[in-house]
Parts: sequence; structure tokens; C-alpha cells
Amino acid sequence: MAPLIAFDRVWKTYGQGEAKVHALAGVDLAISKGEFVSIMGPSGSGKSTAMNIIGCLDTPSAGTYRFMGVDAGRLDRNRRAVLRNLYIGFVFQGYNLLPRTTAAENVELPLIYRGVPSATRRELAMRALAQVGLTGREHHTPAELSGGQQQRVAIARAIVTRPSLLLADEPTGNLDTARTHEIMDLLAGLNRDTGLTIVMVTHELDVAAYARRTIRFLDGNVASDGLNAEMVR
Amino acid sequence: MIWETVRLALRSVRRNALRSFLTLLGIVIGVAAVIAMLTIGAGTTEKVKSDISRLGSNLLVVRAGRPAGRGGPGGIEQQPRKLGEKELAALRARLTGARAISPSAQKQVRVIYGTQNIAASVTGTDSTLLDARDWSLASGRSFSDSEVRSGAAVCLIGETVRKQFFGAGDPEGESIRVNRSSCKIIGLLAPKGYTGFGQDQDNVVMMPLGAFQRRIAGNRDIDNIYIAADDTTPTAELLPQASNILRDIRKIPIGGEDDFDIRDMTQIADTMASATTTMTSMLSAVAAVSLLVGGIGIMNIMLVSVTERTREIGIRLAIGAHEKHILIQFLVEATVLSLLGGIIGILIGLSLAGVASLTLSIPFTPSVAVILLAVGFSALIGMVFGFFPALRGARLDPIDALRHE
Repeated sequence: MAPLIAFDRVWKTYGQGEAKVHALAGVDLAISKGEFVSIMGPSGSGKSTAMNIIGCLDTPSAGTYRFMGVDAGRLDRNRRAVLRNLYIGFVFQGYNLLPRTTAAENVELPLIYRGVPSATRRELAMRALAQVGLTGREHHTPAELSGGQQQRVAIARAIVTRPSLLLADEPTGNLDTARTHEIMDLLAGLNRDTGLTIVMVTHELDVAAYARRTIRFLDGNVASDGLNAEMVR
Repeated sequence: MIWETVRLALRSVRRNALRSFLTLLGIVIGVAAVIAMLTIGAGTTEKVKSDISRLGSNLLVVRAGRPAGRGGPGGIEQQPRKLGEKELAALRARLTGARAISPSAQKQVRVIYGTQNIAASVTGTDSTLLDARDWSLASGRSFSDSEVRSGAAVCLIGETVRKQFFGAGDPEGESIRVNRSSCKIIGLLAPKGYTGFGQDQDNVVMMPLGAFQRRIAGNRDIDNIYIAADDTTPTAELLPQASNILRDIRKIPIGGEDDFDIRDMTQIADTMASATTTMTSMLSAVAAVSLLVGGIGIMNIMLVSVTERTREIGIRLAIGAHEKHILIQFLVEATVLSLLGGIIGILIGLSLAGVASLTLSIPFTPSVAVILLAVGFSALIGMVFGFFPALRGARLDPIDALRHE
């Protein structure tokens, strides 16, 4: 079976002439369905660019990126939007919930763009919120929720569409240690129980340790790629 | 989906209540001004029409003097040949299709009763004038044929004259002095109010033409001959007939210029109405400029809104919104905003027109077509001026938008 994510000599170049910067310099990479991968590397190493390409938010300058066997680099903006909507869930460091909008409405958002009818939407949102342990907080706005709870809403929003891939960009960057482990347990559980593929960028080793595989980026290329020896629990 | 978007737009309008209100103001003022102008204008046209038809409908008025405004030095002539008994008799004998043909001669004269005096318009005529001009009597009687023939010293007075001299009392049988000769009041004219030009139509005294000519004017001239068409004859048909009779009796050679003027009151009514309509549309056009300004206000605030919500747009794009979803969201928001302004503007405009119609005593005639037009137009403004900001939002790069603080 073809891998879920496949980079074939992917380049991403910004700027022109003297100011030309290679954010990615011929990256080869493959991630299969069901994996839990952490991506590490110093800033400027290309990991964010890689994440944007994996998430179909950006396209390679050269080389091919195949998502579920589809050459995503050749799709236009709106087709990539459909791809994201159907198969990819996003979790960000800053949560990125819509302000002054209830948890349930935030979770419903991706379903609106799918054209799911309102009653079904509400039901699916409630189920996703229950899955992340937020039953009873459905009608709170982000301002009324703690950081950990806001990230749970964001995770619920990411999984409500039953995606093939969940992309997490430093999901615990804004949280304290206790909250960090709660969120990581939640993500690891989703990976284990539902087979959800997770790709996560992080700076912290103990967060990376929740994944089963770690890819390190350096200067626009993969420096190391291997399975985590021991699960830190 | 659309309903969802409208709800979202309403929520966003409510959230920035003050800002939305200030943005709306431009549209509100524009729409209110246009609606008020058009409604007041329609009322004025109506009023002018009814005023002029009160002068007498289906009426031709013959005057001495060259017709005005048809080349040459019209208007003031040294000594226009007056109309007289000869012309009146000829018209009465030969014109067909007329209900009434009445002479009239006027003069502004001081009228005295007891120690009081007022300046009133005194008209010499005969009993047919009331019929020709659709006037009626409030009490008393009109001139008898023998009074007209003999030029008896009897008169009819208008409401203003009555009020001035007799207050609540009954004037019939009393005598007033008109230009030093006494005349007996035999009837009271029904009140007609002011003309659209501010002339009091009730400050009048009417007496038999013979009496007027002998005692007041001191000549045998007739100022106007009123010709009222009967119900089956249009004035347009009567006019050339009357013209031919007058040319013949006044011996104007073929090709010679008329030395009299026949006016068609129906035509004048139409002209006046079209003049007020033109006036109304010009004022409305000026008011419409403020709609444009309001539209620019909406564009401005939508640009601010798009910038402010860049992050929200980024989130929406990341989780799978199409360009068109974002475009529609902001377009609907702009349209809802300007529609709201339009509706408030209509309410204010109609209230203004209502107040104006009360104070100016013109009829209040709101038009459904105008209201629908205003609604449609304000929605259109929202769409047109909301399009550019919405497009700008829709074209944002999701990565940049998400990074936006």
C-alpha cells in the first residue's frame, strides 16, 4: 500500500537571486497510515515548511508531494481546501478557535464547509467534544475555557470530520507540564484507539517521546529519522 | 449554508454594534433622503394637479394679446386689442361642444362695509361662470338673467370677505360699497382655499358684468372668456374651433398672427405636474449621492473587518473553506449591513415625508415601487461595495493569515 504521505525530492524555495533561500532542499520522506510521528529541529530547519506542505496549505517549488497517492502539489487552492476539509485535521499551538463562538460551534465549523445538515452537525460535534472529555462545556466560549480545555476543543474540531491525518503544530507549546501530558495522552490515545495518523511538530523531547517515530530536520533536509527506542510514560 | 452565513453576518453586525451603526448611518441618511424626496415630490405633484383642476377642468381661457412664448416680442404689447361683447356673442352662437361660455373682467378694488375695508378682487361676469369654473354657492342665489341684463347692483362674496365684514353673522341682504357704488349681497360663494401659488381664492366679490363695466371698470372690455367643454368634447378639439371663430370675428387675415391667446388648463396642469416631477427627480439625484458616500463607508469598514479577522479567515481556510465561502461570508455581511441601513432609512424617510405632508398640507402618497427600489438598491450597494473587501479576504494565503496577529 502506498504511504499516506510521500515526499519525492521536495524543494521549497523563497525569494530570488542573491536572496534565494531553500527552506526545503530535496527532501525524501514517507509516512504510513496509523503512524504517530514527531518532527523536531531548530527554527529555520524547514520543519514548518514541511508541515505546511504535508497539510496541503503550501505546495513544493520542485519535486512531488503525494497525499493518499494524489499529487497535491498540482492541485489548485480550492481543491487543496477540499482535501484538507475531507482528510486533514489541524491543531495549532495557539489553539486558533474562533473567539466569541461556543465550543460546539467551533467544532461544527469544518462540517459547515462540508455541507452537513445542522442537526447532524450538532450531534457529531457533541460526540467529538465527549471524546476529548469536554462534556458539559459545549456552550462555553474560548474566553471561558482554560488553555488545556481550548486545546481539547481544537482537537475535537480536528477529529470531528474523522480525518486520515491529524497535524499538530507544537500542540502543547502554550501549556504547563500537567496539561501537556493530558493533551499528549489524549493524542496518543486517539492514535492507538482509532488508528488516526498523527504528525506533530515539537521542541520538547518528552513530548516527542509520545510518538513512535521522530524525524529531525536540519538546514532544509532530514538529518535523522528513526523509531523512538522507549516509550516514556 | 446561506442561512448559516446570514446568521453569522447578523452576529458580526451585533458584535460591533457601534461601528455597525456608524457605518449604517451613511446608507440610512441616503435612503431616508431619497425616500422623503420622492414621497414629498409625489405629494406635491398631486397637490399641484388638484389645485389646477380646481381652477376648472376641461377649461379653455381666452385672453386678449399675442400668445406668449412663440417667437417675437411676446408678453407686453403696447395696446392689445381687447375682447368684448362681440367675441362673446360669436363664440356663444357658433361654438359647439361647450357646456358654458362666460365672460369675466377683474379689478383689484377696495371694498367697504361700515368702518372696515379690504382690498378684494372684484369680478364682473354672468350667472354661467359658476358653472364654467365648477364653483358653487354656500348660500343664497346667483344672478338672475334680468339682473345680468340690466346690470343690477347685486353681488356674491367669497368666504374671506364675509369673515372680514360679518364675522359669524349672515351677510345676505346687506349692502357693501365697492368702489363708491353700493351693491346688495345676494349669495355666498363656497370656500375654495388658496391656490398652489398662494393666492386667496375666497377674497372675491362677483357682480353682473354690466354693473362692473359701468361702475368699476368704466369701459366695455372683457378680460377673459372661459369656455368649459362638455363631457364628450376634449378641450383639444374645442381650441382650434374657438380660435377660428375669434380670428374670423376679429378679421385676422390668413397667415396673420393671433392677437388673442387661448389657454388649455388641462395642458397647464400637465406642464406643472411634469415640472414638479423634474424637480423631484433632480432633488432625488442629489440625495442619491449620499447613498454613494454611504456605500464607500461600507467598503471602508468591510476592509477594516477583513483585516481584523485575518486570523479567523486563516482558520476557516485551513479547515477547508473555499474562496467562495469566505467571499460569500463577507458579501453577505456587507449586504446585511446596507440592507439594514436601507430599511431604517425607509422608515425615517417615510416619517419625514409624513411630517412634511402634515405641515405643508400635501397628500401623503408613499409608493410601494419606490420602497422596493430603495431596498433593492441598498442591497446592491452592499454587494458592490462589499465585493472588493470580500475578494481580498477570500484571496488571503491561509499560512500568512494564520500567522497574522
